[in-house]
Amino acid sequence: MDKIIIDGMSFTLPLFIMAIGGICCERSGITNLAVEGLSGMGAFAGALAAYIAVKQLGLGYAQAHVAALLFSMVGGMLLAMVHALMCIRFKANQVVSGVVINLLSQALTIFLVKTINSTVFGRPSDQIDLEVSTRFTVPGISSIPVIGAFFRNVYPFEVFIILVSVVVWYLLYRTGFGLHLRASGDNPHALDAAGVNVSVVRFKACVLSGALCGIGGICFAYSISAQFSSDYYVGYGYLAIAALIFGNWNFMPTLAACLIFGFSRSLGYQAVQWAQLPSAWSDLIMILPYAMTLLLLVFFSKTNHAPRALGVIYDKSER
Amino acid sequence: MKTIKKLLSNDAVFVAIVSSVLSLLVGAVIILLLGKNPLTAYVNLLQGSGLLPKGKYGGGQSMLTDFVSFVDAWTPMIFAALSFAVAMKAGLFNIGISGQMLAAGFISTVFIGYSGLNAFAAKPLVILTGIVVGALAGSVIGWLKYRFNINEVVSSIMINYIFVFVVSFFINTRYLDHVSRRSREVSAASRLTLHQFEIGGYRYDIPLGFGLALLAAVAVGFLFNRTVLGYEIKAVGLNRVSAEYSGINSKRTIFVAMALSGALAGLSGVTYYLGRYASIGPRVLPQTGFNSIAVSILGNNAPFGILFSSFFIEIIGKGSAYMSSRSGLDTEIASIITALILLSSACSAYYLSLRESFRSRRKADG
Repeated sequence: MDKIIIDGMSFTLPLFIMAIGGICCERSGITNLAVEGLSGMGAFAGALAAYIAVKQLGLGYAQAHVAALLFSMVGGMLLAMVHALMCIRFKANQVVSGVVINLLSQALTIFLVKTINSTVFGRPSDQIDLEVSTRFTVPGISSIPVIGAFFRNVYPFEVFIILVSVVVWYLLYRTGFGLHLRASGDNPHALDAAGVNVSVVRFKACVLSGALCGIGGICFAYSISAQFSSDYYVGYGYLAIAALIFGNWNFMPTLAACLIFGFSRSLGYQAVQWAQLPSAWSDLIMILPYAMTLLLLVFFSKTNHAPRALGVIYDKSER
Repeated sequence: MKTIKKLLSNDAVFVAIVSSVLSLLVGAVIILLLGKNPLTAYVNLLQGSGLLPKGKYGGGQSMLTDFVSFVDAWTPMIFAALSFAVAMKAGLFNIGISGQMLAAGFISTVFIGYSGLNAFAAKPLVILTGIVVGALAGSVIGWLKYRFNINEVVSSIMINYIFVFVVSFFINTRYLDHVSRRSREVSAASRLTLHQFEIGGYRYDIPLGFGLALLAAVAVGFLFNRTVLGYEIKAVGLNRVSAEYSGINSKRTIFVAMALSGALAGLSGVTYYLGRYASIGPRVLPQTGFNSIAVSILGNNAPFGILFSSFFIEIIGKGSAYMSSRSGLDTEIASIITALILLSSACSAYYLSLRESFRSRRKADG
């Protein structure tokens, strides 16, 4: 039981932060199918930073963690800038740009991992190993039955994700910038008439989205495999998109969707262990989050309201 | 010269050429930065695809055998890109081609590839199964779209993963070849590629599906230019509301378009898994399904354009192995160049507006 909660949360939260990244971008009116690619780039940059910090600079694990998180944001932001440029400056089809960014990110990161490993570190390998992340347990509360499991064996990044998501929520709903961002996704012409530059708002939103996806990426790299390689790309970015569509582009319902994914997955894995089934059965368990998404979408898609200007290239002359 | 000028004035051709040239230039810069000669790398790509002679050949191999293998790899790509184009005309973004390929390939493998039927029964059955399974897998997405308003991008991605894991489960529990870690090979009788077929001392991989792929391209062209259904699909794709207003049943059209798209993806799947290859790797989606999106967009979603763009992209894909063995560049370089081509072909609106402003400036000058 405890294991279900612990594993469930360590899957839910990275997924959630990626979904928030998607929300930021899409609420500003730019379709973001690039979540997978952005998070992959973040995972790569973060893993590289952590590897250098530990192996080359001899820093401690705490510093390595901070470096990994920082650089994962930088990596995600850089690639997000490409997406933003494509969608805003070059007026590209946003769906195509997103899909291609995913292809590009996958090819580019694997290529960089191989090249950097063989030329800089002098060891031919197609992955970057990470130290296994230390976990902590909150004394006191963690001894409460059932609920206590939420405070046991927690990854440090889980706390970070919660903090960041609160900050982003505040930014989006309680500040002027957040108002501009949401307006540019619903009625960019009105925003423009109010004297705000729509392109700039969208660019910022897109870059912010990259940073958040990057955080999600490095957290997945830490929690699932403790390495970065081509195995990273298993489609959790798309799962995050499904979560935010299911969540109607709002924070709390999206979190609910992520919780469902996370817990159905960890529950499934536990069930395989309890029933002592052969490991091939874990393939069937892996279906759970995706099947759940489809099922939920069947029930909730009718009432969905996407941001009104989502996917529409902003054209001043149409005002 | 005049025909070239006329061809260039065609928007689609202009965009395709500009984006290809730009990306090849960027690719050349990357290769230069890695300290390799981009020209040799590009020549290697052509050599690997049998379009230029290699320095030396092994026994039973020649430039022609290389080219035939290239066509073998090209065939599934044509089907896949056509599949994407058909859905795109209806305004649907079918990113589930990979999954539909896998489903069609897997079902055909299990029921016909392992059945021991003779070649005359097995080969048509493989093609038929591919079409049927692909169409079913595709129409599910269409159904979810019009019945439940589920975004086709999300549903097809979810279905992709469901297929991957289901297929992987069955391969790992029932059909695993313990040496190759893939599914057991299908019977030679059921394969759509005559594997290592000997003619005059050379061994060819002859793709029987290639003729069908050309036929499919012609059929898709005919569908969109000469039939009511094609017209309706295009109308729904351009504006679903106005199509509905003019009396077109948009739900039915979406369903049919996705079924057609799925059927083409299924054909791609059988020419891939029971043609170019003879087995299925667990937990992997065919990259062809994703690259086909770019191929189709580069070819302006038109059958004739797709034949050219798939030829071009497949050179990079097929030639990359030879390039990597000759010049020591990673095969990922080829994927990066492909991605760059796709990325820049997405900027079509920008190129066209640039050309427009260039023209009007020239007019203003005199």
